[in-house]
Amino acid sequence: MKRIEILNFKSPNRAPLKVEGFLFGEESYGTTIAIVGSMSGDYINQLYVASGLVDYLRQKEEEGKITGKILVIPAINTYALNMGETFWPLDKTDINMMFPGYVQGETTQRIAAKLFESLQGYDYGIILEGRRDQGMCLPYVKLIQSGYEDIDSARDLGMRFIHFRPYSPIETVMLQYNWQLWGTKACSVVFGKNGTIDRLSSGEVHGALVRLMSKRGILDTSVFEGYASNIIEPDDITVLKAQCAGIFDSLVGCGVVVQKGEVLGRITDALSGEKLENITAPIDGVVTCQYANPLIFQNSIAFRIASAITKR
Amino acid sequence: MIEEVFSIDLPVGEQFRIQRCRYTPQSGETKKRISIVSGIHGDELEGQYVCFLLGEWLRSNPEKIKATIDIYPAINSLGIDSITRSVPFYDVDLNRIFPGSKNDFLPAQIADGVVSAMSGSEIAIDIHSSNIFLREIPQVRIAKSQADTLVPLANKLNIDFVWVHDAVTVLESTFAHAMNTLGTKTLVVEMGVGMRLSKAYGHQLLDGILNLMACEGFLEIAPLEVRMPIQSEVGEVAYLNASCPGLFVPAIEHCQMIQKGDIVGEIVDPLSGQTLDEVIAPIGGILFTLRAYPIVYEGSLVGRIFGENG
Repeated sequence: MKRIEILNFKSPNRAPLKVEGFLFGEESYGTTIAIVGSMSGDYINQLYVASGLVDYLRQKEEEGKITGKILVIPAINTYALNMGETFWPLDKTDINMMFPGYVQGETTQRIAAKLFESLQGYDYGIILEGRRDQGMCLPYVKLIQSGYEDIDSARDLGMRFIHFRPYSPIETVMLQYNWQLWGTKACSVVFGKNGTIDRLSSGEVHGALVRLMSKRGILDTSVFEGYASNIIEPDDITVLKAQCAGIFDSLVGCGVVVQKGEVLGRITDALSGEKLENITAPIDGVVTCQYANPLIFQNSIAFRIASAITKR
Repeated sequence: MIEEVFSIDLPVGEQFRIQRCRYTPQSGETKKRISIVSGIHGDELEGQYVCFLLGEWLRSNPEKIKATIDIYPAINSLGIDSITRSVPFYDVDLNRIFPGSKNDFLPAQIADGVVSAMSGSEIAIDIHSSNIFLREIPQVRIAKSQADTLVPLANKLNIDFVWVHDAVTVLESTFAHAMNTLGTKTLVVEMGVGMRLSKAYGHQLLDGILNLMACEGFLEIAPLEVRMPIQSEVGEVAYLNASCPGLFVPAIEHCQMIQKGDIVGEIVDPLSGQTLDEVIAPIGGILFTLRAYPIVYEGSLVGRIFGENG
């Protein structure tokens, strides 16, 4: 293993921002993969999985099991991680909205540019992502249709769902889109609840990453088969919104199979305690995401249910 | 008439709401409508003052009103009242999720509500204040694809600069893009600095809005004499980015004409007492952007100069 410096960025008063990568199989001419961990200060699950993977790969290297080249960058935005911020602490910009970066541009554009440069040339790229809302979710693969996406490698992760959808305008400045355009078979693995560690989800994602590396000849190790991934498109998802605001009490977990009419959650008035609403499943399906804060806004999305799945 | 155009219950005994003040002609029906918008970013307050000035003028001159004039001072009302640029709780930039959706998270529902409320307006003017880091002269920014339609309108706004820029895909998520796509001619004004008021700029833009409304048939008044803005297409914009971290100390005032090679400011180190770098003007022209917040990292924007060709 080689510990390498991806970037070193001076601050006016803080110690420099140091982004480090862990490189395995540097001399290998085999298949290559890069895994990017926490880009936001609240992606703690992602940091946990990435650092755990470094430790796992270090052991595998000692056993001579690394057959390709692997780069793991556990944390990008360490400044935010160290102070409970989500984005770049000074100007609140999101590093994952700055790709492909610009070396002559503003601070986070320069950080993105240096990071992106270090990620060039890899065959596969995995971005560990958290939620962009107040939710929590079943671990899933997010694969956007840039025209360069590779669904076969996404399937090799063996995760239960692959959310396969067109990209939105803001995703054109995100890492996945740009990484795909620059020739890496990139996708994101989204999981957990921001700011926390979910060991079950984290273990599932760790297993998926090892599975992909094994199937693609990067890691010589035996793995259990994963799921034959269900490809989910936006029309396969039913959104359940809270009609009322108040205290939200979820009665189910992500990944649970539910039946039409089943009560999934309750909302009570935050002041009077009056029972305001039962949120019930309008269809059979699997709960893929749910609101993860005890206080809920009116019309917030309380649950997402995947259903009517046909393998494509 | 003050109306609530969007409301969502918050968890504990409160509503998130968007309000507008609507002015209509004293007699006769009209479908002609203009919307004046501010506060999409909760830390930008210059537009609030312009909304006040316009409302004050309309209240004093009701007989001059020929069409519906809607004023929305505070789109991100929760953010404005708490010095928060993004939508609080969600930490999402509202101006990056338009046109929004009824079936997405709260910020997207707010965006959808905003678009629904303003849909059908002939013109919208979206007033921003830069952010807390930069001070800007009054300007309108227009995507090149919309220049033919919008530049003639912008020239009526009594601003100093019209900046026509290349289309950027990410900006398709803005309020202005969403409204222009729906057929509402929408101008984005940037002026002043975040979290502060620049009174003179407010009065300058008020004159521009009155002039535009006079020219476009919303007010029955004679057009005002307004300044002709500098057009970006006749020159180039130079960006001044900090070469190192430190404290940026400007050497000249905002909105000055400067020569190539002039010192715009210094980056200094308070700990060692050393001057780390001088920020030098790469071209001559008008310093239309100047950093207002002194702490800089490498890459932080400290200024922009517009220089005319030739």
